[in-house]
Amino acid sequence: MRERCPCAGGLRDAQPADAGAGRRVAALAKRVAGRRYSPAVQPVAIPAGQRPGGEDERALVAALRRGDETAFVALVALYGVPLLRLARTFVRDGAVAEEVVQETWLAVLNGIDGFEGRSSLKTWIFQILSNRAKTRAVRERRSAPFSALAADDDGAAVDADRFRGEGHRWVGHWAAAPADWRHLPEDRLLSKETLARVREAIETLPPRQADVLVLRDVEGWAPDEVCDALGISDGNQRILLHRARSKVRAALEHYLLEGAPA
Amino acid sequence: MTGDVEHLTCKEFVEVLTDYLEDALDPAERADVERHIVICRGCSNYVEQMRSTIDLLGRMGDDAADGAHSEKLLGLFRAWRAGGAPT
Repeated sequence: MRERCPCAGGLRDAQPADAGAGRRVAALAKRVAGRRYSPAVQPVAIPAGQRPGGEDERALVAALRRGDETAFVALVALYGVPLLRLARTFVRDGAVAEEVVQETWLAVLNGIDGFEGRSSLKTWIFQILSNRAKTRAVRERRSAPFSALAADDDGAAVDADRFRGEGHRWVGHWAAAPADWRHLPEDRLLSKETLARVREAIETLPPRQADVLVLRDVEGWAPDEVCDALGISDGNQRILLHRARSKVRAALEHYLLEGAPA
Repeated sequence: MTGDVEHLTCKEFVEVLTDYLEDALDPAERADVERHIVICRGCSNYVEQMRSTIDLLGRMGDDAADGAHSEKLLGLFRAWRAGGAPT
């Protein structure tokens, strides 16, 4: 007779797992345990002539080289706000972030003649921003030293002490299970204070995690677009997203548990 | 060890959740995760919390648009064109 995990809390009975389930779960657990964010730069290998953007992008680049203001305005409309938001993940000060974005645009304009289209224009612009923002962040003291490894971590999604420890019958199951947020007063989750906590949580993320989170969940970019702009593999993109989302959730949980704000 | 190797633990569950939400698990792994959600109230709350978190993140996007910033950029562009552009 199968016992149920205590965190099942009166939900439906477990269906018997099929024969292969044990093996798969073991493989799943191993996959998670062995996983690391590997900072090796993924070469963005896009065959010539099949680049994202293609004809439109070449036309935009040509227009920019001619000094066409409409082309510049179009580009700012596309990337201005995402660039600013990404810059803010590196430097907290809004005015400094704006400066970084302005420097980026100037670098784009000054470098457009030399842009060879090895990556997409979007990727190229975001790389310029990342590099400048990192330099600036170091100067402006962004807490952690900015090496890819130091800036990342292999932390767990949820603190280990939330789960039952070794020796317990239900090792690895919730000791303190997450609450049902649907029971919160309606306006609590969407309040200004809650949103402010989300913003704070984003600001304290390691920069690589913040980059991915902002582009994916705030800006709504597709995973492959994010990989392309940041020059990371799909697997790394997902790991960074996972760490970032987990931390923001944890920060929210902490806030929502701590009782009502004044 | 409990001998109950067929059970995905909650601690493991929270680590594969993003792969699940991103549809990066194979069908059998996906089924294991879904089975766990059905039997575990703690983890089913966790999934809902994560969905709420993602939803909140999507609401952050409404604040950064800044007209003054665009104006500055246009000024920057005009100065660049006057100073250095060919033609």
